[in-house]
Amino acid sequence: MGDDDGGPSRRRFLGYTTCAIGGGIGLSLLYPVVRLVADPMCRQTVTTPTEPIDIGAADRLRVAATWQQVPVIAPVIADAWSTSHDVVLGGAFIRQPAAGKLEALSAVCPHLGCAVGYDPGANTFLCPCHNSRWDRDGNLLPDGKAQRGLDPLPIEVKDGRLRLTWVAYKLDTASREPA
Amino acid sequence: MKLRAWIRERTDVRMPTGMIHGGPSFAHVFGWVLLLLLLVEAVTGTALAAFYSPSTTSAWGSVAYVQDQMALGWLVRGLHYHGGSALVIVTGVHLLQTAVYGAYKKPRELVWWLGIVLLLLVLGFTVTGYVLRWDQAGYWANRVEVGIAASTPVVGKQIRELAIGGNEYGNLTLTRFYALHVIVLPAIVALGVLGHIVLALRHGATTLRPDMPATRRWPDQALRNAFAMALAFAALLGYAVSQHGADLAAPADPSAAFDARPLWYFRWLFELRHIFGSWERFAALAAPAVVAGILVALPIFDRTPSPALRNRMPFIGAVVGLGALVGILTLLSFRADARDADLAKRQDAADKLAIRARMLARDNGVPVTGAQDVFKTVPMYRARSLYAQRCRGCHDAGSKDRKGPIIGPGHGNRAWLRGFLTGPSGDAYWGRTKLAKTEDAMKAVDIAGGDLDDLVELLYAQSGAPDADTAKRDRGKALFDKACNDCHNLDEGVASASAPCLYGIASRDWFTGFIGNPKSAVHMGIDKSEMPRLDKDLSIVDRDLIAQYLVWLRTATPQDLEALGPL
Repeated sequence: MGDDDGGPSRRRFLGYTTCAIGGGIGLSLLYPVVRLVADPMCRQTVTTPTEPIDIGAADRLRVAATWQQVPVIAPVIADAWSTSHDVVLGGAFIRQPAAGKLEALSAVCPHLGCAVGYDPGANTFLCPCHNSRWDRDGNLLPDGKAQRGLDPLPIEVKDGRLRLTWVAYKLDTASREPA
Repeated sequence: MKLRAWIRERTDVRMPTGMIHGGPSFAHVFGWVLLLLLLVEAVTGTALAAFYSPSTTSAWGSVAYVQDQMALGWLVRGLHYHGGSALVIVTGVHLLQTAVYGAYKKPRELVWWLGIVLLLLVLGFTVTGYVLRWDQAGYWANRVEVGIAASTPVVGKQIRELAIGGNEYGNLTLTRFYALHVIVLPAIVALGVLGHIVLALRHGATTLRPDMPATRRWPDQALRNAFAMALAFAALLGYAVSQHGADLAAPADPSAAFDARPLWYFRWLFELRHIFGSWERFAALAAPAVVAGILVALPIFDRTPSPALRNRMPFIGAVVGLGALVGILTLLSFRADARDADLAKRQDAADKLAIRARMLARDNGVPVTGAQDVFKTVPMYRARSLYAQRCRGCHDAGSKDRKGPIIGPGHGNRAWLRGFLTGPSGDAYWGRTKLAKTEDAMKAVDIAGGDLDDLVELLYAQSGAPDADTAKRDRGKALFDKACNDCHNLDEGVASASAPCLYGIASRDWFTGFIGNPKSAVHMGIDKSEMPRLDKDLSIVDRDLIAQYLVWLRTATPQDLEALGPL
């Protein structure tokens, strides 16, 4: 060894080659792994219905009565490898302030997505996670963390059945846009 | 001795000098205690991993199974969960001791920084571990934590999708956190701990008593280490036993409000968010960065050569002050919760729900359709929920909107029939129907004594009840033919002129048919009943289930109904 190893340029060349081989192995191993781990970001892993969901008979809503809390149950959802039936997507509040006029609010807190409850004592909506409150019409009350009112959901009556469209909105923003 | 020499000759591995500056001290035990706690986490975690099933449908059930059914599963879970808390506490104390002793100073900066990284990794363990149980507590805490991360400017959405493995919480969320918790983090922490120990041993202990002579580590320091480790383990074991393992709330339910609270060592951040109001985003993301930044910067700013305390007061003050601030915020957060009576009520309800879910899981098993469905394993769940939705409003004794006869335990038994025959328009029977107020209403039968018993028996026998007395029934038939068959008949499928056919009344088949269409000509007829027909939106299977429930009610007592438990 010593002097007859070809001098500094040969040593540098061999060094680079070794690094290149190592790098090649590393990249070839890392690429499929990173691609796999990142794949869920590039696709819809959980598919929930975008069409209206049946949430019960229309006669359950009495005119001018207070909000009713209902679970929104998707007839079918796809979650990665699995398909499930009757899966709870989240909660909603529904009411009929005047005959034929229907209103629905998502029970997902527009702050960080906790489930909002109705506080019948104070007659307000309350998110138990960070104490955001909304008035009886779903308008934001001060002192909470949420930046907007509760999110309305499209609701309609068809053939005597209530049909609600589930929409997930972007969280923790003042404006309301679908996620 | 020979073996040790043999190995040393072949590996050239030597134990560190074994000397400890300033003599043995309890100040140096914390690293050893942490090592023990990490070992406890690794051992218990390996055992738990052998039972855990990372999917949204099975995770909660597998955890409940270990907690409530496996031999000492609760204890292993308790050691693992509370061991995490112990790790956070002892890491904090270790950090404080190191800071007070100035052990972060040149040349020990790397040991210090590695220690801070390890603290963050320990916190990472707790975050990734808490969600795995997929109960209300872990699920909602994780949603809030991921929500905070998602409010990071610019890359928030990508962070969320990377963390939860897709666009929404689901199976890939659990597989991802599971892989992080049991493979990625342990591997990184093992390497970090190895580096931390090698460097710490190389530099030796930092002492506040440099004038004292160095002594051998063995046996004085070793005994102190062993004593501290035993104390820490005893405390952990005692606490895990006193808590009967770790909590497990009801299965995760995206539709049910839950008072999400972070694990107790994040409570200071939780409180900070409350205090900061509209600046909460700053609090959530920047406060941890500021705290970590101050700790990282310590060796850069503190260049005083001597570890003597009086020269380094500002630095010690900064660290102790930070610790105190975190402690006070934590206490404030718990105090605010303790003073909230509404919260206590909601938490009490959540606790009750958890107990019920776990009892059902233990007694009936968790359905493969998902842990939420454990609540559906109560007896006659579907029939009873259909009944509650469709029937109870008009038929329950306690309903203020009741429009029909009361249906409850004993409905359709002999006593009920006798009451009906002698007063069909009584309040418990048809008193609240529109029919009762018309000319068409049935009149009370003018029969008493043994004859009434016979008539009751005839109707009772129609239900197919096995204990019907045939002799009485046959005598009742003779009475029926004289007194009742102007309006009624007993022939299958034959409509009478003005009143229901009584063939098979209150049998399972009869109920199924009646529920389907009470306005049928064999039943009440088109104009006499207010009850809506249910065959338009309930399948025959569902109507049959309700019918079976009604048949069950005939022989049930109020205690039997109570024993079914709530829906």
